[in-house]
Amino acid sequence: MASQTKADILAGHDANEALNTQLLPPVARRSRDLSADGLRSFLDERIIAASSEALEAGQTHYVDVPGIAPLRAAIANYLGASAGASYEAGNIIVTAGVQESRFLTIQMIGAEFESIAVPTVAHPGVRKALGVRERTVIPLAADVEGGYLPAVDAIAGALAAGCRLLYLESPARLSGAAYADEDAAAISRLLNEYDAMAIWDQGLAPWVDGKYNSLASFEESPSLVTSIGEAFPGMGLASWHIGYIAAPEAHVPAMQSQKQIMAICTSTAAQYAALEASAIFAEAHNRQLAHLSQLRSDLIELARAVNLEVIAGSAANVLALRASQDTIANLNQAGFEVADGALFGAPAVIRLSVSAAAADALQALR
Amino acid sequence: MSKKKAEGTNLLYQLIGEARQYDDVIVMGRGDPDFDTPAHIVAAAKQAMIHHHSDYTPPEGLPALRQAIADRVKRVNNIDVDPATEVVVTNGGQEALFLMVLAVLSPGDEMIVPEPNYNTYADSLAFAGGVKVEVQTYADDDFRADPAAVRAAITDKSRALLLVSPNNPAASVISPGDMKTLLDIAIEHDLMVLADDIYDLFVYDDFEHLSPAALPGGKERTLTLNALSKAYSMTGWRLGWIVGPADLMARVTELKAAISGGTSVISQQAGIAALTGPQDAVEMMAAAYRRRRRLVLDALDAMGMKYGLPQGGQFVFADISFTGLDSGEVAQRMLSEQHVLAYPGSAFSKDRKDYLRMTFLQPEEQLIEGLERMKVAMQNITAGR
Repeated sequence: MASQTKADILAGHDANEALNTQLLPPVARRSRDLSADGLRSFLDERIIAASSEALEAGQTHYVDVPGIAPLRAAIANYLGASAGASYEAGNIIVTAGVQESRFLTIQMIGAEFESIAVPTVAHPGVRKALGVRERTVIPLAADVEGGYLPAVDAIAGALAAGCRLLYLESPARLSGAAYADEDAAAISRLLNEYDAMAIWDQGLAPWVDGKYNSLASFEESPSLVTSIGEAFPGMGLASWHIGYIAAPEAHVPAMQSQKQIMAICTSTAAQYAALEASAIFAEAHNRQLAHLSQLRSDLIELARAVNLEVIAGSAANVLALRASQDTIANLNQAGFEVADGALFGAPAVIRLSVSAAAADALQALR
Repeated sequence: MSKKKAEGTNLLYQLIGEARQYDDVIVMGRGDPDFDTPAHIVAAAKQAMIHHHSDYTPPEGLPALRQAIADRVKRVNNIDVDPATEVVVTNGGQEALFLMVLAVLSPGDEMIVPEPNYNTYADSLAFAGGVKVEVQTYADDDFRADPAAVRAAITDKSRALLLVSPNNPAASVISPGDMKTLLDIAIEHDLMVLADDIYDLFVYDDFEHLSPAALPGGKERTLTLNALSKAYSMTGWRLGWIVGPADLMARVTELKAAISGGTSVISQQAGIAALTGPQDAVEMMAAAYRRRRRLVLDALDAMGMKYGLPQGGQFVFADISFTGLDSGEVAQRMLSEQHVLAYPGSAFSKDRKDYLRMTFLQPEEQLIEGLERMKVAMQNITAGR
């Protein structure tokens, strides 16, 4: 006899549209997969050596829930250098990737607030994480001209209406658009004015060619902003799933406790690899960034040549374009997969990972 | 203002933190085997790094690992699963546990839990908004999960039955007869079964482990978790899995994607090596645990301490009611006075303040020393010192 209990469970899951949102891969599945925002790159031999050495020395046991101490310190330094944010090691929780960072912050900080304001256009992982346990979500309208970032006025409106927790991406995961300093400063002042908090996804920040300031770097912000992202992107660790949460001291215990409940700790192999990545990141990253920036400029030219509208963005690893379903179908037919903007909440937009294969994809549209 | 007393998981972490202060501490608390991961598994991980096996992995895990898990659960547990649709790889048994609870329990739903039990089930249930309905088990009965007591606990809100065998912390193993009866009850009352098999390779004497999913009518209503942490000494790699019917596993996959996206590819490569490579290290470790269990039980007998016979697992749940103190206080005094870490029963269940959980995951000479120190601590406590 069929189980009614199971049928009820399945029906409940099926009705949860947010939970069933399709997630994008963190790294390309194959060479013509342009849907990821993580780079498919080789592991530096120094990372292989350091990680192997740690494992051979017996670092195969549980470690502290928030991560090994030197990696927490290295991530704090990295955030200071790359995003101007002053964090100490004690503010850092090492996570099993940026999706775990999203989940922990949305669910645990979110539990302290009646509602959370979320951009109508954001990474699908945000919606998915929100679907696990019901939260009241206030939509923050996306400003198309601004690369789908919510305008400061929209944020002010949500705060004025009583919402006290914001979830923001900068750079936006769809377009790579980042808030200008004056806008970030304005958001910071709003947080202070309303005694509100923000979860700030800055995972794509290392790909901004030029100055980038985290929301956490502004004078009013340190106790009001929790930053999340991937640790040391571009070092071949995308599928090792290593991310971070950088949170004000008061918010660390609840997330640390939930991390313990969910996973005890993050893979030691991944943590020791990330620790070595921290030491060589600057050298490798500068080369990658210069290369990607040039490649992105070339792609913009190509896109315009095939009459595709380029959406504003400043992260060198992604390029968003306005594109019809026919264009998506043509790309698929040519063997290319792209990130469909509809998954982010922006139909008729596609996102390409910046790569040589993306040039091939645009050439295929000629 | 007095400091709030730590409870449950927080109490355990407070003790772990204090234990780090002592250079000569003997750890008989945490379930972390003292053996390092076998060398051939570490070597395989290194080879995977060298050969750049760091590409995309789907949320449910690498196909080769899911195949290895399917083969393992068939071989060890007699559960037939399709690796393509009925296996999800997780960040250790802990994430598997969290996912199982979230997949099945909604706010207000009741889960029947034989007590004492692993504290994270209560934490996960609280996150899901579910309600724990406790069925007590007793040392005099070797912590048997009595089917009649389970049946009596069922209400119209009951949705799931948790079966952890061997149990943590009580180390009891559900007999095949009881397992069949418990599954019959679950079928009769249309309950889902959450089965935790993480200690299935550690069963002692003539006791026998049986997975409910292996029984007729079991698989379609059972989610079964396991992990490589205990059997292969791979706690730091964070690699576990859930197997179950395809319809439910599709939902588990969505939850896994929502919570953490995927599992670290290097741990998965190590997992493939563990499950498909030589198994002699597992047998070596199992043999060591058998010897250590005997050693601990003999020491407790010599101290006149009562316990439920550990039929499986890697620990003993011992009665300390003779001290007249709460287990949290006893654990604290053992740690601060004798530098021996054992876990208080109160961290596992509010009704087990008279128990301590001691693991035998230390080399024998350390265990002997730890038990000697524990004896001194108990003597001091009972003498009122």
